[in-house]
Amino acid sequence: MKKIFLSCQKASELIEKKINFELSTVEGMQLSLHKLLCDACQRYEKQSLLLEKWIINKEKKAEDSALQITEKEIDELKEKILKSEK
Amino acid sequence: MQWTDELVEWIHLYTKDLYKWALHKTSDKMLSEDLVQDTFLTAAEYLHKFERKSQPKTWLMAILKNKIADYYKETIHQRSQKYVSIDFLESFFNERAHWRKESAPQNWDCESENLLDNPLFTQQIEVCLQKLPAQFGACIRLKFLEEKKSKDICQDLAISATNYWQLLHRAKLHLRSCIENNWFKKQGAR
Repeated sequence: MKKIFLSCQKASELIEKKINFELSTVEGMQLSLHKLLCDACQRYEKQSLLLEKWIINKEKKAEDSALQITEKEIDELKEKILKSEK
Repeated sequence: MQWTDELVEWIHLYTKDLYKWALHKTSDKMLSEDLVQDTFLTAAEYLHKFERKSQPKTWLMAILKNKIADYYKETIHQRSQKYVSIDFLESFFNERAHWRKESAPQNWDCESENLLDNPLFTQQIEVCLQKLPAQFGACIRLKFLEEKKSKDICQDLAISATNYWQLLHRAKLHLRSCIENNWFKKQGAR
């Protein structure tokens, strides 16, 4: 028989499964029960969704990139490409 | 190889935008240079197949996007066995597979400022992504590179759904704790 109460490792794995796929009915019930009794996993789910939102936001904002590009680099790259061979 | 006049023109016109985009997606200058160079070489090879229904830049960007995705897929496969390593999980969970005290998610104060518009916060996320072990970073970046369903990403990667969400889980554990330690725990100090 499957254990009814999940470990935090299993619960947090199921949270990722839930975000990316879907849970079976039993898994959904196991996870709900676990979260009812576990603050840390409740936070994990909330924060995992926040991370996704922040990454999507970051992906849209090229101008905030920590890496700066100079015109010189671009010119050197153009030269390199023009000289490259198949 | 001689570049055609058209390709020479494209190299002059689009190298900057392609490079900027590659760098934004990978945060790696050397890699971005190689990917852009590769993009033009592939464009030269398949130029006869370019139907000119779309803008050249759109076509080149699509080639570049595929190159970036291929790079991540390779990175994930290089060490595909490692991510299930038990040792790795030991730093987050105890022998009963419950959170270790020092690794359990803490409360985040997301209310006191608008994080989405704070460039410093966006940069911190970038830094934490860069710090991820290679295959975890690749997994996260691939997920957000294309608007693809998880099912299709698994198919592309030829890994099972279970392996995929476990991989994302390991990646998120790292990323979550990096953001917590480098941003939220330092919030009072800023």
